[in-house]
Amino acid sequence: MTLRLFLLLAGVLLILFLGMYSWNQRTHVLDDLTTNLGLELTGGVLDPINALEQKSKDLWNRYFDLVNVRDENARLRHQVEELEARLLAQGEDMAELKRLRELVQLPVDASWRPLGARVLAGRMGPNAVLDSITINRGYSTGGRPGTPLVTHLGLVGRVLKASAHSSIALLLTDPSSRIAVFTQESRAPGILVGQGIHRKLELNFVQRAAKVSPGEILVTSGLDGKYPKGIPVARVLTVAPSDYTQFMAITAEPLVDLLHIEEVLLLEPTGIPRPVDPGEAPKEFVGPPAPRAVMP
Amino acid sequence: MKKVYDVLWWLIFIVCATAAQAAVPGVDIMTVGLIILLQERDYRNLAWLLPIFILMQEGMGTRSFGAAIIWYAVVIILFKIGRWLFEVENFVFVFLLSACLGVAYFGVTWSLDPLQDVAFNTEDAVNASLMQAIFLPFTWWFLMLTRRWKKHEQEN
Repeated sequence: MTLRLFLLLAGVLLILFLGMYSWNQRTHVLDDLTTNLGLELTGGVLDPINALEQKSKDLWNRYFDLVNVRDENARLRHQVEELEARLLAQGEDMAELKRLRELVQLPVDASWRPLGARVLAGRMGPNAVLDSITINRGYSTGGRPGTPLVTHLGLVGRVLKASAHSSIALLLTDPSSRIAVFTQESRAPGILVGQGIHRKLELNFVQRAAKVSPGEILVTSGLDGKYPKGIPVARVLTVAPSDYTQFMAITAEPLVDLLHIEEVLLLEPTGIPRPVDPGEAPKEFVGPPAPRAVMP
Repeated sequence: MKKVYDVLWWLIFIVCATAAQAAVPGVDIMTVGLIILLQERDYRNLAWLLPIFILMQEGMGTRSFGAAIIWYAVVIILFKIGRWLFEVENFVFVFLLSACLGVAYFGVTWSLDPLQDVAFNTEDAVNASLMQAIFLPFTWWFLMLTRRWKKHEQEN
Protein backbone atom coordinates (compact mmCIF):
# COMPACT_ATOMS: atom_id res chain seq x y z
CA MET A 1 0.00 0.00 0.00
CA THR A 2 1.50 3.32 -1.00
CA LEU A 3 1.65 6.21 1.47
CA ARG A 4 -0.77 8.23 -0.64
CA LEU A 5 -3.35 5.44 -0.61
CA PHE A 6 -2.90 4.94 3.12
CA LEU A 7 -3.44 8.66 3.83
CA LEU A 8 -6.47 8.71 1.55
CA LEU A 9 -7.98 5.72 3.34
CA ALA A 10 -7.25 7.23 6.77
CA GLY A 11 -8.88 10.51 5.66
CA VAL A 12 -11.99 8.77 4.34
CA LEU A 13 -12.30 6.72 7.56
CA LEU A 14 -11.91 9.86 9.67
CA ILE A 15 -14.61 11.69 7.71
CA LEU A 16 -16.91 8.67 8.00
CA PHE A 17 -16.28 8.50 11.74
CA LEU A 18 -16.94 12.21 12.27
CA GLY A 19 -20.10 11.92 10.17
CA MET A 20 -21.30 9.03 12.30
CA TYR A 21 -20.35 10.87 15.51
CA SER A 22 -22.26 14.04 14.51
CA TRP A 23 -25.29 12.06 13.34
CA ASN A 24 -25.33 10.14 16.62
CA GLN A 25 -24.98 13.33 18.68
CA ARG A 26 -28.14 14.59 16.99
CA THR A 27 -30.21 11.40 16.98
CA HIS A 28 -28.66 9.30 19.82
CA VAL A 29 -29.53 6.14 17.87
CA LEU A 30 -26.17 4.47 18.54
CA ASP A 31 -26.12 5.68 22.17
CA ASP A 32 -29.54 4.08 22.73
CA LEU A 33 -28.41 0.89 21.00
CA THR A 34 -25.27 0.52 23.11
CA THR A 35 -27.18 1.42 26.28
CA ASN A 36 -29.87 -1.15 25.57
CA LEU A 37 -27.49 -3.93 24.55
CA GLY A 38 -24.10 -3.13 26.13
CA LEU A 39 -25.32 -1.90 29.50
CA GLU A 40 -27.88 -4.69 29.72
CA LEU A 41 -25.15 -7.25 28.99
CA THR A 42 -22.85 -5.65 31.57
CA GLY A 43 -25.63 -5.63 34.16
CA GLY A 44 -26.45 -9.23 33.31
CA VAL A 45 -22.84 -10.22 33.95
CA LEU A 46 -22.38 -8.14 37.09
CA ASP A 47 -25.66 -8.98 38.80
CA PRO A 48 -24.89 -12.70 39.44
CA ILE A 49 -21.29 -11.83 40.40
CA ASN A 50 -22.60 -9.27 42.86
CA ALA A 51 -25.16 -11.71 44.29
CA LEU A 52 -22.46 -14.37 44.67
CA GLU A 53 -20.14 -11.90 46.40
CA GLN A 54 -22.95 -10.83 48.74
CA LYS A 55 -23.82 -14.46 49.55
CA SER A 56 -20.23 -15.37 50.38
CA LYS A 57 -19.88 -12.18 52.45
CA ASP A 58 -23.08 -13.03 54.35
CA LEU A 59 -21.87 -16.58 54.97
CA TRP A 60 -18.55 -15.31 56.29
CA ASN A 61 -20.19 -12.64 58.44
CA ARG A 62 -22.71 -15.14 59.82
CA TYR A 63 -19.88 -17.37 60.95
CA PHE A 64 -18.27 -14.53 62.84
CA ASP A 65 -21.68 -13.49 64.18
CA LEU A 66 -22.05 -16.93 65.72
CA VAL A 67 -18.69 -16.61 67.43
CA ASN A 68 -19.71 -13.44 69.23
CA VAL A 69 -23.44 -14.06 69.44
CA ARG A 70 -23.67 -14.46 73.25
CA ASP A 71 -21.93 -11.16 74.02
CA GLU A 72 -23.84 -9.38 71.33
CA ASN A 73 -27.15 -10.77 72.61
CA ALA A 74 -26.52 -9.42 76.10
CA ARG A 75 -25.52 -6.04 74.69
CA LEU A 76 -28.58 -5.87 72.45
CA ARG A 77 -30.95 -6.81 75.30
CA HIS A 78 -29.54 -3.96 77.32
CA GLN A 79 -29.93 -1.65 74.33
CA VAL A 80 -33.56 -2.74 73.80
CA GLU A 81 -34.40 -1.96 77.43
CA GLU A 82 -32.80 1.44 77.07
CA LEU A 83 -34.68 2.16 73.84
CA GLU A 84 -37.99 1.03 75.32
CA ALA A 85 -37.51 3.48 78.16
CA ARG A 86 -36.66 6.23 75.70
CA LEU A 87 -39.68 5.37 73.54
CA LEU A 88 -41.99 5.64 76.54
CA ALA A 89 -40.51 9.02 77.36
CA GLN A 90 -40.98 10.24 73.82
CA GLY A 91 -44.47 8.82 73.38
CA GLU A 92 -46.02 12.03 74.62
CA ASP A 93 -43.89 14.11 72.22
CA MET A 94 -44.92 11.89 69.30
CA ALA A 95 -48.59 12.29 70.13
CA GLU A 96 -48.13 16.04 70.28
CA LEU A 97 -46.32 16.07 66.94
CA LYS A 98 -49.16 14.09 65.38
CA ARG A 99 -51.72 16.53 66.71
CA LEU A 100 -49.71 19.53 65.52
CA ARG A 101 -49.25 17.98 62.05
CA GLU A 102 -52.97 17.48 61.76
CA LEU A 103 -53.47 21.03 62.94
CA VAL A 104 -51.27 22.64 60.28
CA GLN A 105 -52.17 19.96 57.68
CA LEU A 106 -48.53 19.31 56.81
CA PRO A 107 -48.59 17.64 53.37
CA VAL A 108 -46.96 14.24 53.04
CA ASP A 109 -45.43 14.20 49.59
CA ALA A 110 -47.02 11.30 47.72
CA SER A 111 -45.60 12.29 44.34
CA TRP A 112 -42.51 10.03 44.74
CA ARG A 113 -42.35 6.28 45.45
CA PRO A 114 -39.12 4.80 46.90
CA LEU A 115 -37.66 1.68 45.22
CA GLY A 116 -34.61 -0.19 46.52
CA ALA A 117 -31.65 -0.84 44.19
CA ARG A 118 -28.27 -2.46 44.58
CA VAL A 119 -25.07 -0.77 43.39
CA LEU A 120 -23.31 -3.10 40.93
CA ALA A 121 -20.20 -1.04 40.24
CA GLY A 122 -18.66 2.40 40.26
CA ARG A 123 -17.12 3.91 37.13
CA MET A 124 -16.50 1.13 34.63
CA GLY A 125 -14.18 1.03 31.64
CA PRO A 126 -12.25 3.67 29.74
CA ASN A 127 -15.39 5.48 28.57
CA ALA A 128 -16.72 6.17 32.06
CA VAL A 129 -15.58 9.79 32.23
CA LEU A 130 -18.32 11.01 34.57
CA ASP A 131 -18.57 10.25 38.30
CA SER A 132 -21.17 7.52 38.18
CA ILE A 133 -22.41 4.22 39.59
CA THR A 134 -24.13 1.28 37.90
CA ILE A 135 -27.29 -0.02 39.62
CA ASN A 136 -29.47 -3.08 39.08
CA ARG A 137 -32.63 -1.25 38.06
CA GLY A 138 -33.41 -0.11 34.53
CA TYR A 139 -36.24 1.66 32.75
CA SER A 140 -38.52 -1.37 33.04
CA THR A 141 -37.91 -1.72 36.79
CA GLY A 142 -38.15 1.88 38.00
CA GLY A 143 -34.80 3.37 36.96
CA ARG A 144 -35.76 5.75 34.15
CA PRO A 145 -33.33 8.52 33.19
CA GLY A 146 -33.76 11.47 35.55
CA THR A 147 -34.94 9.38 38.53
CA PRO A 148 -33.36 10.70 41.77
CA LEU A 149 -31.24 8.38 43.94
CA VAL A 150 -31.05 8.69 47.72
CA THR A 151 -29.91 6.77 50.79
CA HIS A 152 -31.14 7.17 54.37
CA LEU A 153 -28.45 9.85 54.79
CA GLY A 154 -29.27 12.00 51.79
CA LEU A 155 -29.10 12.57 48.05
CA VAL A 156 -26.78 10.50 45.83
CA GLY A 157 -27.57 11.73 42.29
CA ARG A 158 -29.89 10.81 39.44
CA VAL A 159 -30.16 8.19 36.70
CA LEU A 160 -28.28 9.27 33.57
CA LYS A 161 -28.90 6.40 31.15
CA ALA A 162 -30.79 3.16 31.46
CA SER A 163 -31.23 -0.19 29.78
CA ALA A 164 -34.13 -2.52 30.64
CA HIS A 165 -32.67 -3.86 33.90
CA SER A 166 -29.56 -1.77 34.64
CA SER A 167 -28.78 1.91 34.69
CA ILE A 168 -25.93 4.35 35.21
CA ALA A 169 -26.49 7.14 37.72
CA LEU A 170 -24.65 10.46 37.76
CA LEU A 171 -23.31 11.28 41.22
CA LEU A 172 -23.78 14.73 42.70
CA THR A 173 -19.99 15.16 42.85
CA ASP A 174 -19.61 15.11 39.07
CA PRO A 175 -18.61 18.50 37.59
CA SER A 176 -21.67 18.42 35.31
CA SER A 177 -24.09 17.99 38.24
CA ARG A 178 -26.22 21.02 39.21
CA ILE A 179 -28.75 20.82 42.04
CA ALA A 180 -31.08 23.56 43.26
CA VAL A 181 -30.79 23.67 47.04
CA PHE A 182 -31.35 25.92 50.00
CA THR A 183 -29.76 26.03 53.41
CA GLN A 184 -31.87 24.33 56.05
CA GLU A 185 -31.81 27.09 58.68
CA SER A 186 -31.30 30.38 56.82
CA ARG A 187 -33.31 29.17 53.75
CA ALA A 188 -30.82 30.83 51.37
CA PRO A 189 -31.23 29.42 47.84
CA GLY A 190 -28.28 28.41 45.66
CA ILE A 191 -27.02 25.96 43.05
CA LEU A 192 -24.84 23.10 44.27
CA VAL A 193 -22.13 22.19 41.74
CA GLY A 194 -19.92 19.08 41.82
CA GLN A 195 -16.15 19.36 41.41
CA GLY A 196 -15.11 15.70 41.21
CA ILE A 197 -15.33 12.72 43.55
CA HIS A 198 -12.38 13.70 45.78
CA ARG A 199 -13.11 17.42 45.77
CA LYS A 200 -15.48 19.63 47.75
CA LEU A 201 -18.83 20.72 46.34
CA GLU A 202 -19.41 24.39 45.55
CA LEU A 203 -22.56 26.29 46.41
CA ASN A 204 -23.01 29.08 43.87
CA PHE A 205 -25.30 32.11 43.59
CA VAL A 206 -25.93 32.60 47.32
CA GLN A 207 -26.55 36.27 48.11
CA ARG A 208 -23.98 38.01 50.32
CA ALA A 209 -26.71 39.04 52.74
CA ALA A 210 -27.56 35.37 53.45
CA LYS A 211 -26.61 34.20 56.93
CA VAL A 212 -25.13 30.79 56.09
CA SER A 213 -22.90 29.18 58.70
CA PRO A 214 -20.49 26.20 58.51
CA GLY A 215 -22.12 22.94 59.52
CA GLU A 216 -25.50 23.93 58.11
CA ILE A 217 -27.27 21.26 56.02
CA LEU A 218 -28.20 21.91 52.39
CA VAL A 219 -31.53 20.46 51.26
CA THR A 220 -33.04 20.21 47.78
CA SER A 221 -35.37 23.08 47.01
CA GLY A 222 -37.26 21.25 44.28
CA LEU A 223 -37.11 24.40 42.15
CA ASP A 224 -35.23 22.59 39.36
CA GLY A 225 -38.07 20.08 39.01
CA LYS A 226 -35.52 17.24 39.07
CA TYR A 227 -35.48 16.36 42.77
CA PRO A 228 -38.19 16.27 45.43
CA LYS A 229 -38.09 19.16 47.88
CA GLY A 230 -36.43 18.71 51.27
CA ILE A 231 -33.87 15.92 50.70
CA PRO A 232 -30.64 16.55 52.63
CA VAL A 233 -27.72 16.82 50.21
CA ALA A 234 -24.57 18.21 51.80
CA ARG A 235 -23.06 19.93 54.83
CA VAL A 236 -21.55 23.43 54.55
CA LEU A 237 -17.81 23.45 55.25
CA THR A 238 -16.61 27.01 54.60
CA VAL A 239 -18.36 30.32 54.02
CA ALA A 240 -16.65 33.49 52.78
CA PRO A 241 -17.45 36.40 50.48
CA SER A 242 -16.25 35.61 46.96
CA ASP A 243 -13.27 37.55 45.60
CA TYR A 244 -14.55 37.35 42.04
CA THR A 245 -18.36 37.46 42.12
CA GLN A 246 -21.08 39.34 43.96
CA PHE A 247 -22.10 36.11 45.70
CA MET A 248 -20.74 34.05 48.61
CA ALA A 249 -18.01 31.43 48.10
CA ILE A 250 -19.35 28.37 49.91
CA THR A 251 -17.92 24.85 49.93
CA ALA A 252 -19.73 21.75 51.14
CA GLU A 253 -19.30 17.99 51.48
CA PRO A 254 -21.87 15.32 50.53
CA LEU A 255 -23.72 13.70 53.43
CA VAL A 256 -23.50 10.29 51.78
CA ASP A 257 -20.15 8.50 51.50
CA LEU A 258 -20.35 8.12 47.73
CA LEU A 259 -17.28 5.88 47.51
CA HIS A 260 -18.81 3.18 49.69
CA ILE A 261 -22.51 2.94 48.87
CA GLU A 262 -23.97 -0.52 48.37
CA GLU A 263 -27.71 0.12 48.25
CA VAL A 264 -29.72 3.13 47.16
CA LEU A 265 -33.35 4.17 46.95
CA LEU A 266 -34.76 5.33 43.65
CA LEU A 267 -37.51 7.93 43.95
CA GLU A 268 -39.90 7.04 41.18
CA PRO A 269 -42.42 9.74 40.25
CA THR A 270 -45.93 8.43 40.90
CA GLY A 271 -47.67 11.00 38.76
CA ILE A 272 -49.62 12.33 41.75
CA PRO A 273 -49.15 16.12 41.82
CA ARG A 274 -47.18 17.49 44.76
CA PRO A 275 -49.47 19.02 47.40
CA VAL A 276 -49.13 22.78 47.62
CA ASP A 277 -46.84 23.99 50.38
CA PRO A 278 -48.81 26.25 52.77
CA GLY A 279 -45.95 28.76 52.63
CA GLU A 280 -45.79 28.73 48.84
CA ALA A 281 -47.04 31.67 46.83
CA PRO A 282 -50.27 31.04 44.90
CA LYS A 283 -49.67 30.08 41.27
CA GLU A 284 -52.18 32.52 39.85
CA PHE A 285 -52.41 36.22 40.51
CA VAL A 286 -55.86 36.75 41.85
CA GLY A 287 -55.89 40.53 42.04
CA PRO A 288 -54.94 43.08 44.63
CA PRO A 289 -55.82 42.47 48.27
CA ALA A 290 -59.16 43.77 49.43
CA PRO A 291 -58.89 47.31 50.85
CA ARG A 292 -58.79 47.41 54.61
CA ALA A 293 -61.83 48.74 56.33
CA VAL A 294 -61.23 52.32 57.32
CA MET A 295 -61.03 52.56 61.02
CA PRO A 296 -63.19 55.26 62.50
CA MET B 1 -14.01 -29.75 20.81
CA LYS B 2 -11.00 -27.38 20.95
CA LYS B 3 -13.09 -24.69 19.25
CA VAL B 4 -15.71 -25.09 21.98
CA TYR B 5 -12.99 -24.71 24.64
CA ASP B 6 -11.76 -21.59 22.89
CA VAL B 7 -15.22 -20.01 22.78
CA LEU B 8 -15.75 -20.98 26.42
CA TRP B 9 -12.42 -19.37 27.33
CA TRP B 10 -13.48 -16.13 25.64
CA LEU B 11 -16.86 -16.13 27.39
CA ILE B 12 -15.15 -16.58 30.75
CA PHE B 13 -12.72 -13.83 29.74
CA ILE B 14 -15.62 -11.42 29.08
CA VAL B 15 -17.16 -12.16 32.50
CA CYS B 16 -13.80 -11.78 34.31
CA ALA B 17 -12.89 -8.64 32.36
CA THR B 18 -16.25 -7.05 33.23
CA ALA B 19 -15.79 -7.92 36.91
CA ALA B 20 -12.22 -6.58 36.84
CA GLN B 21 -13.34 -3.34 35.19
CA ALA B 22 -15.99 -2.95 37.89
CA ALA B 23 -13.29 -3.40 40.54
CA VAL B 24 -10.73 -1.05 38.95
CA PRO B 25 -12.38 2.11 37.58
CA GLY B 26 -11.16 3.41 34.21
CA VAL B 27 -9.13 0.38 33.15
CA ASP B 28 -9.89 -1.47 29.92
CA ILE B 29 -9.15 -5.17 30.36
CA MET B 30 -10.78 -6.11 27.06
CA THR B 31 -7.85 -4.48 25.24
CA VAL B 32 -5.75 -7.40 26.47
CA GLY B 33 -8.19 -9.78 24.80
CA LEU B 34 -7.88 -7.82 21.57
CA ILE B 35 -4.07 -8.01 21.71
CA ILE B 36 -4.22 -11.78 22.29
CA LEU B 37 -6.56 -12.19 19.31
CA LEU B 38 -4.19 -10.17 17.12
CA GLN B 39 -1.15 -12.11 18.33
CA GLU B 40 -2.86 -15.41 17.56
CA ARG B 41 -4.16 -14.05 14.23
CA ASP B 42 -7.52 -15.43 15.33
CA TYR B 43 -9.66 -13.31 13.00
CA ARG B 44 -12.66 -15.62 13.21
CA ASN B 45 -13.07 -14.98 16.95
CA LEU B 46 -12.07 -11.35 16.46
CA ALA B 47 -15.08 -10.90 14.15
CA TRP B 48 -17.59 -11.59 16.93
CA LEU B 49 -15.59 -10.54 19.96
CA LEU B 50 -14.61 -7.04 18.81
CA PRO B 51 -18.25 -5.86 18.34
CA ILE B 52 -19.06 -7.28 21.79
CA PHE B 53 -16.09 -5.44 23.33
CA ILE B 54 -17.17 -2.19 21.65
CA LEU B 55 -20.82 -2.68 22.60
CA MET B 56 -20.00 -3.39 26.23
CA GLN B 57 -17.48 -0.57 26.62
CA GLU B 58 -19.86 1.93 25.04
CA GLY B 59 -22.77 0.61 27.12
CA MET B 60 -21.01 0.77 30.47
CA GLY B 61 -19.39 4.14 29.74
CA THR B 62 -20.79 7.65 29.92
CA ARG B 63 -19.25 9.03 26.71
CA SER B 64 -21.17 9.43 23.45
CA PHE B 65 -20.84 6.54 21.03
CA GLY B 66 -17.54 6.39 19.15
CA ALA B 67 -14.80 6.50 21.77
CA ALA B 68 -14.39 2.71 21.94
CA ILE B 69 -14.11 2.50 18.14
CA ILE B 70 -11.31 5.10 18.15
CA TRP B 71 -9.57 3.39 21.07
CA TYR B 72 -9.63 -0.11 19.54
CA ALA B 73 -8.60 1.29 16.14
CA VAL B 74 -5.56 2.85 17.85
CA VAL B 75 -4.77 -0.49 19.55
CA ILE B 76 -4.94 -2.35 16.21
CA ILE B 77 -2.85 0.27 14.36
CA LEU B 78 -0.14 0.33 17.06
CA PHE B 79 -0.07 -3.46 17.13
CA LYS B 80 0.30 -3.66 13.34
CA ILE B 81 3.15 -1.10 13.43
CA GLY B 82 4.77 -3.14 16.21
CA ARG B 83 4.47 -6.32 14.15
CA TRP B 84 6.55 -4.71 11.39
CA LEU B 85 9.36 -3.99 13.82
CA PHE B 86 9.30 -6.62 16.57
CA GLU B 87 8.50 -10.19 17.49
CA VAL B 88 5.03 -9.71 18.98
CA GLU B 89 4.64 -12.74 21.21
CA ASN B 90 6.88 -11.78 24.07
CA PHE B 91 6.56 -9.76 27.24
CA VAL B 92 8.95 -6.98 26.15
CA PHE B 93 6.85 -6.21 23.09
CA VAL B 94 3.65 -6.11 25.15
CA PHE B 95 5.43 -3.88 27.68
CA LEU B 96 6.45 -1.43 24.93
CA LEU B 97 3.01 -1.59 23.36
CA SER B 98 1.35 -0.88 26.71
CA ALA B 99 3.59 2.18 27.19
CA CYS B 100 2.53 3.47 23.75
CA LEU B 101 -1.10 2.66 24.54
CA GLY B 102 -0.80 4.62 27.79
CA VAL B 103 0.14 7.70 25.74
CA ALA B 104 -2.60 6.90 23.21
CA TYR B 105 -5.15 6.58 26.04
CA PHE B 106 -4.26 10.11 27.16
CA GLY B 107 -4.57 11.31 23.55
CA VAL B 108 -8.00 9.73 23.05
CA THR B 109 -9.28 11.25 26.32
CA TRP B 110 -7.81 14.66 25.43
CA SER B 111 -9.39 14.66 21.97
CA LEU B 112 -12.82 13.24 22.84
CA ASP B 113 -13.68 15.00 26.12
CA PRO B 114 -14.12 18.47 24.53
CA LEU B 115 -16.39 16.94 21.86
CA GLN B 116 -18.83 16.02 24.62
CA ASP B 117 -18.37 19.19 26.70
CA VAL B 118 -16.72 17.17 29.47
CA ALA B 119 -14.12 19.13 31.43
CA PHE B 120 -10.69 17.63 30.65
CA ASN B 121 -8.74 16.99 33.84
CA THR B 122 -5.05 16.43 33.08
CA GLU B 123 -4.27 14.80 36.43
CA ASP B 124 -7.14 12.29 36.15
CA ALA B 125 -6.25 11.53 32.52
CA VAL B 126 -2.57 10.93 33.39
CA ASN B 127 -3.56 8.65 36.28
CA ALA B 128 -5.95 6.64 34.09
CA SER B 129 -3.31 6.35 31.32
CA LEU B 130 -0.69 5.11 33.79
CA MET B 131 -3.13 2.61 35.26
CA GLN B 132 -3.93 1.31 31.79
CA ALA B 133 -0.24 1.06 30.87
CA ILE B 134 0.64 -0.79 34.09
CA PHE B 135 -2.32 -3.18 34.07
CA LEU B 136 -1.96 -4.28 30.47
CA PRO B 137 1.33 -6.25 30.42
CA PHE B 138 0.69 -8.09 33.68
CA THR B 139 -2.87 -9.00 32.72
CA TRP B 140 -1.56 -10.21 29.34
CA TRP B 141 1.11 -12.31 31.06
CA PHE B 142 -1.46 -13.86 33.40
CA LEU B 143 -3.92 -14.57 30.59
CA MET B 144 -1.23 -16.14 28.42
CA LEU B 145 -0.54 -18.61 31.24
CA THR B 146 -4.13 -19.81 30.90
CA ARG B 147 -3.78 -20.18 27.11
CA ARG B 148 -0.73 -22.45 26.95
CA TRP B 149 -2.87 -25.22 25.48
CA LYS B 150 -3.60 -22.98 22.51
CA LYS B 151 0.12 -22.36 21.91
CA HIS B 152 0.86 -26.11 21.99
CA GLU B 153 -2.00 -26.66 19.57
CA GLN B 154 -0.57 -24.05 17.14
CA GLU B 155 2.95 -25.58 17.39
CA ASN B 156 1.59 -29.03 16.60
